[in-house]
Amino acid sequence: MAKSLATFRRYRRTLARFWATSLTAELEYQANFLIELLSVGGNLAGSVFLLSLFFGHGRSLGGWSWEQALVVLGVYTLLDGLTSTVLQPNLSTIVTHVRTGTLDFVLLKPIDSQFWLSARTFSPWGLPGVVMGLGLMAVAAFRAGARPGPQALVQVAVLLIASAVILYSLWFVLAATSIWFVKVWNATEVLRSALVAGRYPVAAYPAGLRTFFTLVLPVAFLTTVPAEAILGTGSSQWLLASVVVAVVSLALSRWFWGFALRFYTSASS
Amino acid sequence: MSRSPLVHGLRVARALFTSQYALMLEYRAEIALWALSGVLPLIMLGVWSGSGAGADAGLTPLQLARYFLAAFVVRQFTIVWVIQAFEEDNLQGRLSPYLLQPLPPLWRYLAAHLAEQVTRLPFVVVILALVALVLPGTLWWPSPLSFLLAVVATHLVFLLRFLIQSLITMACFWSERAAALERLQMIPYLFLSGLVAPLETFPEGMRALAFATPFPWMIWFPARLLGGGQVDVAAGFGALLAWIALLLPLTLLLWKAGIRRYSAMGA
Amino acid sequence: MGFLGPNGAGKTTTLKMLSGLIHPTAGRVEVAGHVPYRRQGSFLRSISLVMGQKQQLIWDLPPLDSLRVNAAVYGLDDARAKRRITELAEMLELGDELSRPVRKLSLGERMKAELLAALLHRPSVLFLDEPTLGLDVNAQARVRDFLADINRRTGTTVLLTSHYMGDITALCPRVLLIHQGHLFHDGPLDELTERLAPCREVRLELKDPAPAEAFAGYGAVESCQGHQVRLLIPRDRLTGAVARLLADFAVVDLEVSEPPVEELIGRLFRQGVVA
Repeated sequence: MAKSLATFRRYRRTLARFWATSLTAELEYQANFLIELLSVGGNLAGSVFLLSLFFGHGRSLGGWSWEQALVVLGVYTLLDGLTSTVLQPNLSTIVTHVRTGTLDFVLLKPIDSQFWLSARTFSPWGLPGVVMGLGLMAVAAFRAGARPGPQALVQVAVLLIASAVILYSLWFVLAATSIWFVKVWNATEVLRSALVAGRYPVAAYPAGLRTFFTLVLPVAFLTTVPAEAILGTGSSQWLLASVVVAVVSLALSRWFWGFALRFYTSASS
Repeated sequence: MSRSPLVHGLRVARALFTSQYALMLEYRAEIALWALSGVLPLIMLGVWSGSGAGADAGLTPLQLARYFLAAFVVRQFTIVWVIQAFEEDNLQGRLSPYLLQPLPPLWRYLAAHLAEQVTRLPFVVVILALVALVLPGTLWWPSPLSFLLAVVATHLVFLLRFLIQSLITMACFWSERAAALERLQMIPYLFLSGLVAPLETFPEGMRALAFATPFPWMIWFPARLLGGGQVDVAAGFGALLAWIALLLPLTLLLWKAGIRRYSAMGA
Repeated sequence: MGFLGPNGAGKTTTLKMLSGLIHPTAGRVEVAGHVPYRRQGSFLRSISLVMGQKQQLIWDLPPLDSLRVNAAVYGLDDARAKRRITELAEMLELGDELSRPVRKLSLGERMKAELLAALLHRPSVLFLDEPTLGLDVNAQARVRDFLADINRRTGTTVLLTSHYMGDITALCPRVLLIHQGHLFHDGPLDELTERLAPCREVRLELKDPAPAEAFAGYGAVESCQGHQVRLLIPRDRLTGAVARLLADFAVVDLEVSEPPVEELIGRLFRQGVVA
C-alpha cells in the first residue's frame, strides 16, 4: 500500500515536472496566444454560421433544434481543444522517437512508457478551445431550456471524461502503429479529418453513416451522447455504453502498446 | 551552339517533373493518406443529404451529391503546400544550393506539386469508386465541354492558391509570425469557398460578402462546372484571372525581394 | 569493460541486450541480478544508457530542466538532486552550460551534460554506446578521464562500445572483441594487442605509380591505387622498411600511423596475424 502511494506521488511529481518544463518552452512564444485565439475564434464563428444554414424556415437537424445542435458543437470544440492541448503535441512525437531511436531512452526510464509518451508535453495554446467549448455548451444548453441538476452534471462530467478517454485511445493506437510504419506518420491527420463528423448530432446523418459513426468510428459517443446528457435527453443505457467503451478502448490501447513494444524490442538495432 | 530558350525550358521542365515524380512515388503511402484526409466534403454531404435545407436553396439530393463529390475532387487537385516545403528546405539548409542554381526555386516547387497531383490521382479515383459503391447512381460523366472548363478552372484555382501561399511564404522572410497567416486564411477558405456548403444556401448578405473575396471561385465555381450546375462561366473565369493578374506580379516582386533579403542575411 | 569491434560486429546489439532494449533470441542474460528485458523498475533505476549519436536531453531547454524531470522520474527529492548535480558538474567541469539551451552547446558540452543526466540517479551500471563519436581530441580525453574517475570513485560498472582504439586503451583493463557476432577475445588489453601483433600503417604517395607486387617484400600491402600505397609493417621492422622504401622508390610523401582497429581485425580474419 505504501509502495503504491509512493509510486502515485512519483508519477504526480513527474507529471508536474513534465508540464512545467513544457510550459516554459512554449511560453517563450507568447505571440502564439493571439494567433491561437483568432484561429479558434474564427473557426467557431464559421462553424456556428455553417450550422445556421441548416435551420432556416423552422427546420431541425435530425430532430435537433438550433440550440441543441449548438451544444453538440460546443462539446466538439471542447474535445478539439483537448486534442490541441495534449493529444497532438504528445502523440505526434512517437513517430519521431521511433525514427531517431530516442524511444530507447524512454523505455529505459523507470516510468511507464505509455505515460511518458502521452503526458510529456502540454501545449497551453489549445486551452482557448477548451474554454470556448465549455462556454458554448453552457450557454446553448441554457438557451435550449436545459436545467441539469447536480446528479445530471456528474453524469455529464463522467461522459466527457469517457469521450476524452475514447478520443485518446483512438489517437494513441494510431500513433503507436508508427512502430511498424514510420511512413504513415500522418495517419492521425486522417483521424482528425474524419472526426469533424462530431460537429453534428449523429441523428443528422443518414442511417448507414449513423451506424458507422456509432460502431466503427465512435464519433457518436464523443459528442452526441454527452450533449444529450446535458440537455436531459440522454438515457442510462448510453451512459453505461459510453463508460464501457471508454474502459475497453483504454485497455485496448494499453494492450496494443505492449504488443507494439514487443515487436520493437525484438528487432535489431 | 545556340538553343532556343523554349526548347531548353521544356527540357528542364521535363527533367524536373520526372525527378519530382520519382520522389513522390517514394511517398505514395503518405500521399494516399493525405488524399484520404480530404473527406470533409463527403462528410458534409452526409449532413446535407439528411437535412431538408438543401431543397430550400433549390438543390435536389442528386445535385447536392454531385456538387460535393465535385468539390471533393476539386479540393484534391488544388491543395498547396509551398510553405511547408519551403520551411523544411530552409531548416535543412537546402535553400542556399537551390539559389545558386540557374533555376528559380518557385519552378521547383511547382513541379513538385504537379508531380504530387499525378501521384495522388489513383487514390482519388479509388475513393470515388468507393463512394459510388455506397451511393449508386451518384457518379456521372460530365459533358466534354464542362469537363474541359472544369479542368481549366481547377488549374487556374491551383495557380491562384499557389500564388497566395507563395506570397505568405515570402512574408516569412520579414517576420516569423507570417506563417500564422496561412492558418488564419484557411478559415475563410473553409467556410466561404463552398467546401462545406454550396453558396446557393447562403443568405443574401453572406453570399454578396463571399463573392467579394477570391474564395468562392476556388471550390464552388469549378465544382459547379464539374457537377453540371448552373453557373456564370464568364464571371467565374473573369474573377479567377483578375485575382491571378493581381497576385502574380506581387508574388514575383516579393519573391525577388525575399531572396535578396535572405542572401543579405547571410543564409 | 570495453566492447571493441568494427561496424556491424554486434557491439550495439550486445549493449541493447544487456540494457534490456532487445530480447535475446537464445540464451540467458542477467545484469545486476535482474533479467534486463523485463525492464523492472528496480533494474531500470540501477542502470543508465548514453548513446553517442542520440540524446535524451530536451533540445530547446537548458539541461537543468531535463535534469529536474529526471530527478522526478527517478524519485530523487530536490535536495538530493541538487547535491548530485553540483557534485557531477564539478567533476565534468560544467558551469553555466547547464543553464543554456542544449541546442546552443557544443558537441563536447552536450556529451558532458548527457553524462551528468545519466549519472544523476547513481546507477550501478553505466552503458555507453560510442560516447566519443564525433568529439575532438580534447573532448575525447576529458570524457575518458571522467569515466575512469567515476569508475574509481564510485565503483560504477562501465560498459562501453567504441571503434576507437584510444577509448579502449585509456579506460579498459578488460576488453571483449566482437567480430561478426562472435566473441573473439575476452581478457586484458595487452594480450589482445600482442595477439593482433604490433604494426604500423605506412601511407606512401609515389612520384610514379608502381604495381602492388613491387612492395611485397617490405610489408603487407593493404591497398595500391596508382600513386597511393598503404602498407602494414610490423613495428620492429618499421625503421628498416621505411629506409628501404625511401631509397628504392621516388616517394613524394610518407606517413606513419596506427592502423585502424578494423583494418587489423579485418586483416586478422582474412589472412591470419601479420608476422
